[in-house]
Amino acid sequence: MSEKVSNQSLWTWFFQRISGLFLGFFLVTHLNVHHLFHDFTTEGLINFNSVRENLASSGFWKIYYFLFVPFVVFHALNGLWAIIADYRIPGKLSLLIKTAFWIIASLLIVTAIFTLKNLL
Amino acid sequence: MKTNKFQETYSDAIRNKNIGTFSYWLHRITGIGLAVYLLMHTYVLSSAISGKESFDARMGDVQNPFFSLLEVLLIAGVFIHMLNGLRIIISDFFGWSRYHKSIFWIIAILFVGLMIITIAVIWPKFFADNYRIGG
Repeated sequence: MSEKVSNQSLWTWFFQRISGLFLGFFLVTHLNVHHLFHDFTTEGLINFNSVRENLASSGFWKIYYFLFVPFVVFHALNGLWAIIADYRIPGKLSLLIKTAFWIIASLLIVTAIFTLKNLL
Repeated sequence: MKTNKFQETYSDAIRNKNIGTFSYWLHRITGIGLAVYLLMHTYVLSSAISGKESFDARMGDVQNPFFSLLEVLLIAGVFIHMLNGLRIIISDFFGWSRYHKSIFWIIAILFVGLMIITIAVIWPKFFADNYRIGG
C-alpha cells in the first residue's frame, strides 16, 4: 500500500450519482418509446423493421443510444461492485471479481455496439 | 472473508426498523434486479447481430401477456430505484439528509402515481388480438 490514499472510490461515488441522474432522463424516454407506448393493435409486435424505422426517425437516437449504453453499464457494474465492496472481501478474490466485471463491461458494450450497428 | 458480515447486515436490518434501512435494502434489491435485467435485455436484443430473422423470432418470444406482467415488475423496479436514487442525490448534494424521511414519503406517493399510469398504459395490451402466448 502506498502512503497516498487513492481517490478512486470518491470518483466512482460521484460518477454513480451523475450517471444515475443521466439514466433517469434516458430511461424515462426509452421506456416511453420502446416499452410502454407501442400500440400492438395498430402497429403489430415490435420487430426488426419497426425498431429500425423508429431509430431512423431522427439522428438524435443514434447519439442517444451510444451515450446510453456506457452510462448504463458503468452504473450497473459500479453499483454491484459497491455492494460487493461492502462485504470486505480479501484482496485476491476482490481482484478476481474486479477483473471479471471489467470483462463483463467490455463484452456488454461491444455486444451493444454491434447490436446498434445493425439496428441503426 | 468475514462470513458473519452477512448475518451482521441481516441483524442490522432487523434491529434498525426504520425508513433509512428499508430504502437501503429496496435500493440494493432493485439495483441487483435491474443489473440482471440488463443482461437479459442485451441477450434478447443482441439477436439483431445475426439479422432480421433471429431478431424477430426472439422478440416474438418475449412479447406476450406473461412478459407484460414481468414488464410491470421491471418498471416498478426502475421507478423505485430512480426515485430513491433522487432521494440519495438530494440528501448527499444538497445537504437535505435531515429531511430524508419526508422525501421518502414524497417519493412513495410519486411511485404509486407513476405505477397507476403505467398499469393504465399496459392494461389494453392484454386485450390486443395479436398479443397471445405462443404468437
